[in-house]
Amino acid sequence: MATEVILPRLGQGMESGTIVRWLKSEGEPVEKGEPLFELDTDKVTQEVEAETNGVLLKIAVAEGEVPVGQTVAFIGAEGEDVPEVVSEAPAAPAAEEPSNSLLQANEETASASDASGNGRIKASPLARRLARERGIDLARLRGTGPEGRIVAEDVERGEAGAPASVPTSNSLLQAAVPAGEVEQIPLSNVRKTIARRLTEAWQIPVFQLQASADMTRVNALVARLRERDPDVRLTVTDVLTKVCAQALMRHREVNAEFTAEAILLHPSANVGLAVAAPQGLVVPVIRGAERLSLIEIAHVRGDLVGRARENKLRAEDLEGGTFTISNLGMYAVQSFTAVLNPPQAAIVAVGATEDRVVPADGGIAVRPMVTLTGTFDHRAVDGAPAAAFLQTLRESLEDPGLAL
Amino acid sequence: MPELTYREAVRDALSTAMRQDEDVFIMGEDIAEMGGSMGVTAGMLDEFGKERVRNTPISEMALAGAAIGAAMQGMRPVAEIMYEDFMTLAAEQVVNQAAKLRYMSGGQLTVPVVFRTQGGAGWSPGAQHAQQLEAWFVHIPGLKVVFASTPEDVRGLLWSAIYDDNPVVFFEHRTLYPIKGNVPQEIEPIPIGRARVHRRGEDVTVIATGRLVHESLKAAEEAESEGISVEVVDPRTLQPLDEETLVSSVKKTNRAVVAHEAVTRMGFGAEVAAVLQYQAFDWLDAPIERVGAKFSPLPFAPVMEAFVVPHAEDVLAAIKRTVGKT
Repeated sequence: MATEVILPRLGQGMESGTIVRWLKSEGEPVEKGEPLFELDTDKVTQEVEAETNGVLLKIAVAEGEVPVGQTVAFIGAEGEDVPEVVSEAPAAPAAEEPSNSLLQANEETASASDASGNGRIKASPLARRLARERGIDLARLRGTGPEGRIVAEDVERGEAGAPASVPTSNSLLQAAVPAGEVEQIPLSNVRKTIARRLTEAWQIPVFQLQASADMTRVNALVARLRERDPDVRLTVTDVLTKVCAQALMRHREVNAEFTAEAILLHPSANVGLAVAAPQGLVVPVIRGAERLSLIEIAHVRGDLVGRARENKLRAEDLEGGTFTISNLGMYAVQSFTAVLNPPQAAIVAVGATEDRVVPADGGIAVRPMVTLTGTFDHRAVDGAPAAAFLQTLRESLEDPGLAL
Repeated sequence: MPELTYREAVRDALSTAMRQDEDVFIMGEDIAEMGGSMGVTAGMLDEFGKERVRNTPISEMALAGAAIGAAMQGMRPVAEIMYEDFMTLAAEQVVNQAAKLRYMSGGQLTVPVVFRTQGGAGWSPGAQHAQQLEAWFVHIPGLKVVFASTPEDVRGLLWSAIYDDNPVVFFEHRTLYPIKGNVPQEIEPIPIGRARVHRRGEDVTVIATGRLVHESLKAAEEAESEGISVEVVDPRTLQPLDEETLVSSVKKTNRAVVAHEAVTRMGFGAEVAAVLQYQAFDWLDAPIERVGAKFSPLPFAPVMEAFVVPHAEDVLAAIKRTVGKT
């Protein structure tokens, strides 16, 4: 198998480099450690050495600017076939639109994994964890570490540059629809249920309340618990679940259900989490969340979300919810309004935790803030108790000890 | 704050303990009139007399055994093994007796003995007088193992070793004896099992022991000028190991280099690497780099000796490999 020569990263933060000239020509034998080409970056001009022995089979990019990680040549045995890649792709467009390179990465990493002889993607453990947590598919990233390894920086860049890298939206990339035709996606049962329930929900008289909370302490708490027990992948959502459950127990009129005969106040906070599963939106339920520790919640949540993504939820996982959390924070949504999840009387929509300038002690400060938007069934809950609930939520997030 | 050499700092800990505590005494080959082959105990005979500064016959096994016996009887002996290489001769007593007696007696016996020894390359001592054998002793349950790299650390840790109720193997590095450093006016005991962060950094953690602490600090300086921020941590105690400090540093920097003068194969760094990969697996962004001597007996010729043992440039190269900048 021919080995790809990729444009190396010569320093932290280097995004691209300009190939000045090749020091070897096609067909010439090269030894590991021999200079291959001259590379100009914004900081230095440097000779890049071969990482393997063989014959320089093909120079894919003769000169010009190339993003870090792109294949620029192949080294292999004499007469060996070279995989079809971006050989003709001139460097210029890649340099002009570096963020688009993510879309091309699909084909390139495919050939990269062929070259390595097995299907495993080379990624550092940290990169793997970040990708897992942020729902990014490693196969779509281009590795810029030694020997093409995907490192944390690649994942971070991938996330920033690729709103399309959401697991559920793979269809956007795969869609091969002839231009000008409308595509039909048949309704699945899940989609039909979503449509029916949301239409019902839309007829309920609701009102929204919004509040923002300083997440400094929650972040510190999460960081600390993660450090203490890295095996439990505790998230802010787990703290939110706990805090909501405690607030629901203090404001039971929100943990409610409206029926024609009576308003039912539930004895326990069964908190549903809106999850983007491959088949569509599902809301698995964490039962009795007010009685569970954060660690227990993290375990239950990990199990439910994991099975939701694998389409392996059972019916009972989705039943009995008394309240719902919908968190779109990972998509950098500042705030949004969620549609009620009947027969529940309330749902809270959680935006991204982001640094905002806020007044503090007569001056200003930068704090990690989150905006919560509650949607309430006005038939069951009035404005004041709903506002009191939101206030408790906010206070508990700003001072998580209060939730205990 | 007074300034002491590493050698004076060792002597200060010994003398201060002996002045205030009748149970503490020192023994070893040529430690009395000659002051020890490295001059650490020079002058102590005059102050404390022959009973408490005891020359021994040239038998490491006998002197180690005598020290262990005294410790079992309630004394706090500090035995000097002239060269680390000769710890191999004392090993029966240290490994099979000192390390085991408390356990085998069901806690009825304690063995509060310290075996001070020194080693290390850099002065052409040849293959039999400069080995770094700390890994041998870290492997033995029942022993504590200390390797201090600065005057302040060597004094505070030796104090804690003397007053630890368990046998402690206390490594000093030959080339560090002349280095100077500030120490507190009064001896401040440094707890066994606590690492020291010598330098804060963001991009990579270098975990180094002995002479390599100083080489790593030089490498960190150089790396800084090339835009790489390096944290340097000295575990100081190899057993018990301050895993928490090492792991939390690596969780912050996501990259690690372990560096010591001993050969890398089966070295102390291998254990550190194993601890880090297990406890910080999901935080690692690069393979853990190991820096140590090449797998060879130490050559006598200075040029070849310098080639075999690691220096700041080897640490720097490892640092750069972790950040993908070679």
